[in-house]
Amino acid sequence: MNQVLLLSIVLLPLLGGVLLALMRRAEKRAADTAFLSVLALEAAAVTAYLCLPDATVRLFSMTDALTVSLASDGISRVFLAVGAYGFLLSGVYATRYMARGERQASFYGWMLFSLGALCGMDLSQNLITMYLFFEAATLLSMPLVLHDRTEESIRAALKYLFYSIAGAFLALLAIFVLGRFTTTLDFAAGGTLTADAAAHRTLLEIVVFLGVIGFGAKAGLYPLHGWLPTAHPVAPAPASAALSGIIAKAGVLAILRLVFYIVGADFLRGTWVQIAWMSLALLTVFMGSMMAYREDLFKKRLAYSSVSQISYVLVGLFTLTPSGVTGGILHVIFHACIKICLFLVAGSVIVNLEKTRVSDLVGVGKQMPITLFSFTIASLGLIGIPPASGFVSKWYLALGALDTGIPVLNWLVPIVLLVSALLTAGYLLPITIRGFFPGKDFSAPPKTDEGTAVMWLPIAILGAASLLLGVCSGPLVDWIFTLVAPLV
Amino acid sequence: MIAFFVNFPLFSIVLCLLCAVLCALLKGKAARIVSLSLCGVVAVLAFCVLVYGLQTGAATEYPMGHYPHPWGNELRFGIAEPLVALVFAVVMLLCLIGGKQQLDVDLEPGKRNLYYVMCDLVLVSLLALAYTNDVFTGYVFIEICTIASCGLLMIRQIGRTTLAATRYMIFSLIGSGLFLLGVILLYGVTGQLLMPSLKAAIAALWEGGQYRTALLSAMTLMTVGLAIKSGLFPFHLWMPDTYAYSTPASAGILSGLVSKGYSFLLIKLVFGVFGTDVFYGSGVSNVLYVFGALGIIVGSISAAREKDVFRMIAFSSAAQIGYLYFGIGLTPALGMLAAIFHLLTHAVTKPLLFLAAGQLGEAAGGRLRHTWRGAAHRNRTAGLMFSLGAFSMIGIPLTMGFVSKYRFALAAFERPTLLVVTLIVLAVSTVLNAMYFMRVIIGIYTPVPERRTRMTLREQRPFAVSSLLLALLNLSAGVAAQPLVLLLERGLSLL
Amino acid sequence: MAPIWLLGCILFPFAAGMLLCLLHLRSYRLLTGLMLPVILLTSLFCWAAILFCPADGAEVIRFAPNLVLLLRLDGLGRFFVGIVATLWPLTALYAVSYMRREQHPGMFFGFFTASYGATLGVAAAGNLFTMYCFYELLTLTTVPLVLQPMTRAARKATRMYFLYSIGGAAFAFAAMVFLISSGADGAFGAGGLLGAHPYGENITYLFWLFGFLGFGVKAALFPLHAWLPKAAVAPTPVTALLHAVAVVKAGAFAVIRLTYGCFGADLLRGSRAQTVALMLAAVTIVYGSAAALKETNFKRRLAYSTVANLSYILFGALLLTPAGIAAALLHMAAHACIKITSFFAAGAVRHETGRESVYELDGLGKRMPVTFVCFTVSAFALTGLPPFNGFVSKWYLLTAAAEAGGVAWVGAGALLLSALLTAIYMLTACRRAWFPDKNANLSALSGVHEAEWQMLLPMLVLTVGMLACGVFAEPILAAVRAIAAGL
Repeated sequence: MNQVLLLSIVLLPLLGGVLLALMRRAEKRAADTAFLSVLALEAAAVTAYLCLPDATVRLFSMTDALTVSLASDGISRVFLAVGAYGFLLSGVYATRYMARGERQASFYGWMLFSLGALCGMDLSQNLITMYLFFEAATLLSMPLVLHDRTEESIRAALKYLFYSIAGAFLALLAIFVLGRFTTTLDFAAGGTLTADAAAHRTLLEIVVFLGVIGFGAKAGLYPLHGWLPTAHPVAPAPASAALSGIIAKAGVLAILRLVFYIVGADFLRGTWVQIAWMSLALLTVFMGSMMAYREDLFKKRLAYSSVSQISYVLVGLFTLTPSGVTGGILHVIFHACIKICLFLVAGSVIVNLEKTRVSDLVGVGKQMPITLFSFTIASLGLIGIPPASGFVSKWYLALGALDTGIPVLNWLVPIVLLVSALLTAGYLLPITIRGFFPGKDFSAPPKTDEGTAVMWLPIAILGAASLLLGVCSGPLVDWIFTLVAPLV
Repeated sequence: MIAFFVNFPLFSIVLCLLCAVLCALLKGKAARIVSLSLCGVVAVLAFCVLVYGLQTGAATEYPMGHYPHPWGNELRFGIAEPLVALVFAVVMLLCLIGGKQQLDVDLEPGKRNLYYVMCDLVLVSLLALAYTNDVFTGYVFIEICTIASCGLLMIRQIGRTTLAATRYMIFSLIGSGLFLLGVILLYGVTGQLLMPSLKAAIAALWEGGQYRTALLSAMTLMTVGLAIKSGLFPFHLWMPDTYAYSTPASAGILSGLVSKGYSFLLIKLVFGVFGTDVFYGSGVSNVLYVFGALGIIVGSISAAREKDVFRMIAFSSAAQIGYLYFGIGLTPALGMLAAIFHLLTHAVTKPLLFLAAGQLGEAAGGRLRHTWRGAAHRNRTAGLMFSLGAFSMIGIPLTMGFVSKYRFALAAFERPTLLVVTLIVLAVSTVLNAMYFMRVIIGIYTPVPERRTRMTLREQRPFAVSSLLLALLNLSAGVAAQPLVLLLERGLSLL
Repeated sequence: MAPIWLLGCILFPFAAGMLLCLLHLRSYRLLTGLMLPVILLTSLFCWAAILFCPADGAEVIRFAPNLVLLLRLDGLGRFFVGIVATLWPLTALYAVSYMRREQHPGMFFGFFTASYGATLGVAAAGNLFTMYCFYELLTLTTVPLVLQPMTRAARKATRMYFLYSIGGAAFAFAAMVFLISSGADGAFGAGGLLGAHPYGENITYLFWLFGFLGFGVKAALFPLHAWLPKAAVAPTPVTALLHAVAVVKAGAFAVIRLTYGCFGADLLRGSRAQTVALMLAAVTIVYGSAAALKETNFKRRLAYSTVANLSYILFGALLLTPAGIAAALLHMAAHACIKITSFFAAGAVRHETGRESVYELDGLGKRMPVTFVCFTVSAFALTGLPPFNGFVSKWYLLTAAAEAGGVAWVGAGALLLSALLTAIYMLTACRRAWFPDKNANLSALSGVHEAEWQMLLPMLVLTVGMLACGVFAEPILAAVRAIAAGL
């Protein structure tokens, strides 16, 4: 039963995608219905799965060394839940957002395909399976970026594709070398390195370093981050939300699996590799925030913000301490929540007010109060003002960094986090302020319908969730600490 | 019965002379019949001599007129000599048959018999060069051969042939002059003209260190003389015009046989007069090697640059002559074997190419490469035969060309110091050969829209028969090369 | 019985092809009706030979004591015969539809059939001399196929192809004579025939390099690759089968024979010659991929990609480890399947629309869905995405390189870089087909429709094959490992 569920979690969206591909000429209502029911089913399946015990499904083996199989564990539950619920909310929103555009069915189809690939990645039992779904996620989410078929979007999509594939091949380098120095490529907490691996420490360090850089491409880690601010904004808003909030996390998951489940934290703790990773992640955090602060295009600002925020997660992972990793995983959840919300808001602004630049956003709060209110709540979460969710994750991140005991970095991390938080406030809060307090000479235009409940409700839910998850984070934190305990 | 065969070399020479006289008296058609049958008879006689040689397993010295050594004039034959003579006679026969169509056009009706006189004289001199055991007799027949060859060339009366013949004559006379000087020098030093006595005398002198300069000069003069006559680089410039403008039958005879006669004489001189020790010890061989290699490359490059197909084939001959001397210069055993095998290969292949080119040129109506487009569709047989000849030149397996390339390569390993150079020269030459021959082959097989009449087999029966035989000869010697190689090996040991 | 059977396999298509050429049949239907059974029958014979032929050699003719025409079907030969015998009938079927409008079909099908025999000859050759002979024969029988369009470009390409091939063979010939004169003239043997350096180390290496470069010409090794993209002017079945599989892989196959069967891997392992060769292969890998990226002509782009992929094979083989050669063979099979499919797709596009540039593919995916699904799958497989066969072979190549260490790391880097470039040049083409620019002129495509079933069926079969060989790669891997162990 469990195995069937596991398989159906992966296959359901993929088959749904095929279904929608076949519905190319169908009416919009039919496509909407199909799309939403697949997403709802998927969310239900994931919910069921959260409560059921672990299982393993062996799909096929290419050769004895290259097996494709699925398995479930705690980490996969976290990522699956984020993915399924996030896609459900974005999907609901999309039915309205995409109403005016062309090719909805194909858009829905690609959304489902991406979700399927992500679920497959979440449930991968070994590196090969994960690599397979990692590549699939790239290829299947690329059409979301080029949905508009403008020259800009095509260029952005190709940039996304090639960065991701370049990253994947760097990772492949790590994978095949690790294939030689591990007992198995199946994930096991604490790593699977063979006894003689220590003798080839330098080689392994180099390839693992490169592998993480490669997977980091997907997560927007410097130096392969260039595609993210280009590609995320050009997609339709629901797709941007999914890309930024969920699909980019595939990179995080891949790094998590590689570092903690194959190589093992002990092997890397205190080496130059860890320091280099942390430095790169910190650099990305700071740089992303700076760029976001300077950017005027709303969605692009959010994309830069993603660059910065996902690297928070990575900083947490690279601390290799329980608190740091917990903070990182918490931030995966919170950031997904917040960033989806923010992108959906940006989408609403585009659809309802036809404004794309931050500088034009004056008095939005008068026209779309619920939307902007949710935006504000989510922003507070991202900045990390207690008791909003972001505060909790950043708290553990800072703790984790202090625990590393690496000179300089252990105090630099909290400082950079702080500076970045200030910058975050700097690039998000002005929107709220000018939205609600447009100044005296602002003549209030009529209130819009905020795109009906189909659009504002997902935003509101996510905004509320970002607050609530912070307020009631206790059990979640404990649970994640138990997940992380065997890893570090 | 077999013992009687010992007289056949002399008989064949005398027969040729008689036929030459007879042809001068006969009309064209009768002269042709006489000459053709002469070639056939000579071939049979040569075959008998070959059988005799194999039977006795030793070289036979045949004094003429019962004058004893050292005054008399002698013939000498083992296995290689009759074999070469046999090939010469057969190829000449096939040339004359295959080139009939062009001969009918090119020869003035009144002078046809003269052409056959010249043919008979060429044949006799070739036989004499093959069989003689006397350097002065060699010289005499070299001159006869020169004059007769000029005749073969001149018989096609167009302006270019006159020019070509003049040039050929000048080069040839320089060559034979040098040869004569060499003979005189040797005679002056040793007082001998018969090859065995010369060899003994030279060996003794060389051993004692006397007359080094004179001997070296004589050797060089004779070698260079023969090299000029057979067209070794840099004395190959007479070749293109000579071969390209004569009638195909003459071109085949001149390139395939005449130049080979001189080369064969040189091989005989190396073994029978200079002695391998002296020849290879003196460094003359290295000079031959170098010029042979240069000849291969330069000849091939010149051929590749040539737009006139006949001249291209002629330049290719220059390269092939280069091969011969390349082999002679390489080593006395395997190198010599490769050279003599190549001599036969070229004697069989080049006439095939010239004959086929003659037919194709007729079908195309021009001499230049670009006019030949589609010619093979108008004359399929000629196209096929040309391709086959070209493949043999390139050295595709199962052709004779491959075997000689292989023998050269094997010989290279006998001299490890020159190993790499030799093999690179071979490879480069193969590439160049492929380059220029392929261009023509692709051209003749490219169809052109306008459909001219197609030449059927019946219309060109003589050519078809002779080219088919030449091709068969080539292929069978390519497939069953081993017996031939063994025969030549034995032949070389008897020289 | 075995030698007659093998000889029959080789001579039957050769003779039948020559006959087809000479018959000058005017009826296209009759021509293809004769050609298809011949090819099918030959493939059947071949499979029978693969399954039942004993592995001992059989002398056909002895030209000279050390020049023997020897036919023998060992593991490696069986493997190559298997690839060829599977792909030839599929291509023949494709060609039936493709060549219908082209000129001189008689000549085409004649030499197409004849070259089948020559390729089988290369595969079944039992010693170097035999292989050399069939190698030359392969050149000769494929030259008219390149010449087939009879245009100026085709003539130029043919000349180049012939020249390169013959030139290469001339150098390979030097290596062959070296082996013969060193006494290593027997049948291909496990561990090589040479055993020691007869003329000193450097001479051995030099001649191996001669042979490697000589045969490498057909395998489109970097400075000697130029003929392959040029030869893409030939009709697509030729480009697909001959210049992505039979001829070029015969080159790689010959290099493997020369290295493993004659010189011996032990003799060369760790030598400078090996380093030079590995470097050349690595350079070719990167160069081919980069050139493919730059090329906008669809078929030529694929041809450059072939250049790179052949060097994958050579690289694997030149690692001189069992893992390396096994991976090389795996890639040989994988690439054969992949590249032939992508060429078929390119050919289908050319046949249906006359378009030859990658820039003209906009929106064709909707018009020719089957073709482009196949092409896209082949693109994924070529890039090396799991679970297609390209991934498996690339995986084992990389693993072998990592195991060999040293210079091989450069090659591993080249492989990964090339994989990225492959992704770029293949996926951009897919992108255009499936996701055309907004302002692309799609109305011009209104009359375009899918190719005939004769062209689609081979593509589909091979596409399924790509997936199947990826998902169920274990038997193939076991087979190539067994072959590698026997070298």
